[in-house]
Amino acid sequence: MINFNNVTKVYGKDSIALDHVDLAINPGEFVFLVGASGSGKSTMVRLILKELEPSAGSITVNGVRLSSIPHRSVPRHRRAIGCVFQDFKLLPNKTAAENVAYAMEVTGQKRRAIRVKVPQILDLVGLGEQAEKYPDQLSGGEQQRVSIARAFVGQPPILIADEPTGNLDPDTSVGIMQLLHRINRIGTTVLVATHDKEMVDVMRKRVVALKGGRVVRDMVRGGYANEV
Amino acid sequence: MRFNLGFFLREAAKNMRLNALMSVTAVTTTAVCVLVLGVGLLVSAHVEGILRGVGKDVAITAFFPEDAPGAEIDAARRQVEGYPEVQEVVFVSEGEALNRVKDMLSEQPEVMEGLDPGIMQASMEIRLADPGTSDAVAERLRAEGFSDENLNYPQQTISQLNQVTGYVIWALRAATVLFLVASVLLISNAIRISIFARRKEIEVMKLVGASDGFVRTPFVLEGLAQGLLGATIAALVVVWGNAMFVEWAGNALPFVPVSSSAVNTLLVLIVLIAVGVLIGIIGSFLSVRRFLRV
Repeated sequence: MINFNNVTKVYGKDSIALDHVDLAINPGEFVFLVGASGSGKSTMVRLILKELEPSAGSITVNGVRLSSIPHRSVPRHRRAIGCVFQDFKLLPNKTAAENVAYAMEVTGQKRRAIRVKVPQILDLVGLGEQAEKYPDQLSGGEQQRVSIARAFVGQPPILIADEPTGNLDPDTSVGIMQLLHRINRIGTTVLVATHDKEMVDVMRKRVVALKGGRVVRDMVRGGYANEV
Repeated sequence: MRFNLGFFLREAAKNMRLNALMSVTAVTTTAVCVLVLGVGLLVSAHVEGILRGVGKDVAITAFFPEDAPGAEIDAARRQVEGYPEVQEVVFVSEGEALNRVKDMLSEQPEVMEGLDPGIMQASMEIRLADPGTSDAVAERLRAEGFSDENLNYPQQTISQLNQVTGYVIWALRAATVLFLVASVLLISNAIRISIFARRKEIEVMKLVGASDGFVRTPFVLEGLAQGLLGATIAALVVVWGNAMFVEWAGNALPFVPVSSSAVNTLLVLIVLIAVGVLIGIIGSFLSVRRFLRV
């Protein structure tokens, strides 16, 4: 589903973010990408979204080589990847429902379809009651749920979350992780970049550890720490 | 993708409501710039009109010899009226000429005492369609037998006036172009500030998978609406101001040929509003483009 083939990313002249990374993520997998700040997690996420171009190597997403996607087709590529961010990135002038609807407007879906789908998905993330609230009227956990709903509303084959629990307290984080897990169980490939140790240890999913831009560990049912 | 006009219009309207202060700024800037441009247009139209009016007053006066019989005068008149360059021929008889002098000297009637009416010469005042043709017309009149002493035409004044007219009109056109450039810069700057405040929003839209056009369209519609509103206000003020000016000039400056026909009101309205709308569209288009590179 997502393949990194000997990928290197250098910022500026000699700041190496990723160093010859090889990684294969299969359809339907749930993968944690762990590592300290600056280990290259966010760079990988941004490369997958084609926000950045690799300095060397190639990346394939959904069977398409990213380097072969012309600039004007990047929006189409991004619609196939649901995205959740640490800072939620909700549109502040839109209600929860409108934020979710925007992701559907972008793909040119009919208003009727949007009116049916948005309440369903908000119910799914447990925000049926908060649909008409604006982001600043919602708690951090609720905002993150809106952002997950927005990422998932188009039913993309891949969902990427970059530090989804980074701004949330542990109890709230559990709810978010359960939500991501549920999305994974219905067949979505989920990639979570995080340094939330507790969460990774509890979930017992595939863990890919990065250090200094290299993959230092890849375990099928791993924990955060360097255990066997 | 479907072009969802309803969605874009709702987005643009909502953005303007939420960013009301910025919208007011953009509308005001557009209005001020279009106002300046409109005043420039009016001034140049009126100056052109006045110069044309002054040019119309320049005439060639051909005096008839004192002993010329009436039939000869009539024949000459008809002949001159047939010249293609000539707009109008006015015959001034000896008596009329005397009356004019009396009018001019009405403050000192004693000067006229004992004056012999025969001292005046009958003449025809020839108005030209284009003051530049005075030389040619004078040449023809000379060929008709009018001696140089009997021809009075301010040849130098005419040619100088033509030159000055040209300079003034070109200067006004240059000033108008400068105003136009200045207003485009001012307005696109105002729009850029308003969009800069929303660059995070644009970034999020692009991350959710919105195409450039999808993000841009509401902003461009917003620019269009703001340009339209600002320009309409300014254009109405300009047209109203023009009407007031023409009325005032008619009373206060009777010697200056200011006429309302110098300005095509409808054309000015259309031009100003079109300029405002174009500036709004181009300004927002260019300003959004800078923030679309995500």
